[in-house]
Amino acid sequence: METSAEKKSRLAFKLGLGIVALGVLICTASSVIGYHQYKETIEKQYNTTAYQCAQVALSYVGEQKLKEYADAVNAFFAGETGEEELDAIRSSGEYADAREKICTLREKMGANDIGLFVLDQEELMRYSGTKDNWTPFRYIMDGYVKEEQSFTIGDSISCNPDYINDLNEIALTGRRSDSYFFSDGDFGYNTSAIEPVLDEDGNVFAMVGVEIPMVTLQAALRQYLVYAVLVTVIFVIVFMLLYMLYLYRFVVRPINQIAQCAGAFVENNNHISSQLSEITTGDEIQVLAESFMKMENDIENYINNLTKVTAEKERIGAELDVATNIQKSMLPSIFPAFPERKEIDIYATMNPAKEVGGDFYDFFMVDDRHLAIVMADVSGKGVPAALFMVIGKTLIKDHTQPGKDLGEVFTEVNELLCESNSEGLFITAYEGVLDLVSGDFRYVNAGHEIPYICKKDGKFEPYKIRAGFVLAGMEGMRYKCGQMQLDVGDKIFQYTDGVTEATDKDNELYGMERLTAILTENSALPPSALLPKVKEDIDRFVGDAPQFDDITMLCLEYKERMEG
Amino acid sequence: MNITKNTEGKTLNIALEGRLDTTTAPQLEAEFNQSIADNTELILDFANLEYLSSAGLRVLLAVQKTMNKQGKMIIRNVNEVISEVFEVTGFSDILTIE
Repeated sequence: METSAEKKSRLAFKLGLGIVALGVLICTASSVIGYHQYKETIEKQYNTTAYQCAQVALSYVGEQKLKEYADAVNAFFAGETGEEELDAIRSSGEYADAREKICTLREKMGANDIGLFVLDQEELMRYSGTKDNWTPFRYIMDGYVKEEQSFTIGDSISCNPDYINDLNEIALTGRRSDSYFFSDGDFGYNTSAIEPVLDEDGNVFAMVGVEIPMVTLQAALRQYLVYAVLVTVIFVIVFMLLYMLYLYRFVVRPINQIAQCAGAFVENNNHISSQLSEITTGDEIQVLAESFMKMENDIENYINNLTKVTAEKERIGAELDVATNIQKSMLPSIFPAFPERKEIDIYATMNPAKEVGGDFYDFFMVDDRHLAIVMADVSGKGVPAALFMVIGKTLIKDHTQPGKDLGEVFTEVNELLCESNSEGLFITAYEGVLDLVSGDFRYVNAGHEIPYICKKDGKFEPYKIRAGFVLAGMEGMRYKCGQMQLDVGDKIFQYTDGVTEATDKDNELYGMERLTAILTENSALPPSALLPKVKEDIDRFVGDAPQFDDITMLCLEYKERMEG
Repeated sequence: MNITKNTEGKTLNIALEGRLDTTTAPQLEAEFNQSIADNTELILDFANLEYLSSAGLRVLLAVQKTMNKQGKMIIRNVNEVISEVFEVTGFSDILTIE
C-alpha cells in the first residue's frame, strides 16, 4: 500500500514533468528556428558581397573589352584562330592591368577566386556523369589565390556538376540565380556568385564568377547557438519555476487538501473538516471543495436520518413480532386440546403468509356437551387484517352462548363489526356447534368455503351448504343456521382459501380436486396426522413459488357419543 | 390486470382483464375513486377476468356500497369460476349479476 504522501507528490510530479517537456520543446524549437534564420541571413550577406565583388571585377575589365576577349575565346575554340591571337591578348598591357586589379580586389575582399569565362552551353548540357573530356568553362581571365594554379585566357575546364541546371538557367535567362552555390573546398565552406554579362541583344556572352569563403560563419553560428540556447533555457527555466509555484499554490495544494479532507472524512467517522472552507481559489477547485463539503454534510444528514429510520424500523419490527406472538397465542395451539374428552379429537394449524395474518380458527366448549368450531378469513393482510381478526374472533366467541341460534350469533356479530369497520374490511367465517350427545351439528356460513365431511365410507366430500353474505360487509344482513347429523367416526374438515388458492410457479391453483384426493387418501389418519399430510402435499405442489395467503386448516373427529 | 373504461352519459362501463387480487386490487380501487363520482350507473364487464380474490371482493363491496347511494351497479359476463366465488362468499346476494 502506498502512503498518501507518495500519492500526493504524484500530481505535482506529473504536472512538473509536463512543464519540463514543454520547456525542452520550446528551447529546441526556438534554437533550431533561430539557428536557421541566422545562418541564412549570414549566407545571404556573404553571397551579396560576392556579387558586389563580381560587379567591381567587371568594371575593371570593361564590358566592351570583355566582349572582345570572349569573341577571341570563342573564335579560338571554334578553331578559327590559333594560340598567337590569344598570346597577343595575354601580353597586352590592358589584359595584364585588368588581371592585376582583379588579383588585388580578390586579395582585399578575402575571396578565393575571381574568374571571367565564357560558358559553352552545349558542352555544359552534354554532361554524362563524368568530368572526363567535359569542359564547359572557357577562361578569359582568372585571379585565383594560388598563382601557379591560376588559369589564363584559352584554358578550358570542367565545373561542379551540381551547378549545371543553375548555370543553364542563368545562361538562358540572363538573370542571377537564387542559388548561393555552396561548396566545400580547400578553404572551407564557400559561397559563389555567378554574374552574367549581357550584350546589346540581351544574350549572355560571358560570366563573372566569385568564390568567397564563409570563414566566420561557423564560429558565428556556434556563438549564436550558445547564446540563443542559453537565453532561452534561462528564460524557460525561470518561467517554469514560476508556473510550477503557481500550479502548486493554486492547483496541487488545494487538491491535496480536498483529498486529505476526503480521507479524514472516511477514516474519522464522518468528521467534517473546516479545511475545505479555507480553499478560496475562486475557480473550479473552490467549487469542487464547496460541493464536497456539501456532500459531506448531506452524507452525515443521511446517515443520521438512516440511523433514526433504521431504529424506528427495528422498533416496528420488534412490535410486529410481539403482534405475531399475541396473534398466535390467541389461537388455541395446545394439542390434544381436550385430553379428558374421549368423544372428540381436534387439530388445527395456521401458516401465516406475512408476519401477521388475517386467518383465524377457534374451538371451545360452549357448555358441557356442546363444542364450537370457527374458521374465518379477514380480507386483506398485515396489521389491519390482524386487528380486525382479533375483534371478529372475540365477538364470535362472546356471542356463542348455550342454546343461542347460530344465525342470530352471526347477525349480531355482523352488526357490531359493521360499526367498527372504517377500512372496508370483511370476514368470511364459518361456525359450527356439535352436540356431543346427539351428534346434532348446527352451522352458519358467512361467505366462507364449505366444509368437507368424511362419513363412514372414508371419503371426504365437500358438503354443499348455502352461504350467507360475508361478515362486516353490509349492515342488516340476516344469517340462517343450518343443521346436519354427524355419526360416530365422522370427520369434518374446514379450511381457508389459502389452501385451495395456493399457487405454483405457473400460476396454477391447488384447487379442490387435489384437496379432495389427499384428504381421502389419508382419511384413516387422526386429525393431528392428517393436516400435516395436506400441508406437505400443498408444499410439494407450490414448490419454490412464494406463499401469498395464510394457510389454515382444522379437522374435528367425532369419536364416540357422550353419555347423556 | 388491464382496465378499459368508457363513459356514455351517466353510465360508466368498465371491463376488467386478467387477475383481480391483492396486487391489482389497489389499481382498480384508485380507478373507481377517480371515475365513478358523477355516474348513476356502473356496468362491470368480467368477460376476461380470470381470477378474483378476497382483496378484489373488498373493492367490489366498497364500490357497490357507493353505487347503492348514487344509482346502480351491474356485473356482466361472469364466468363459472368467479360465479362460484360470488356464490360461496354470499356476494351473489348483494350484487346485481346479469
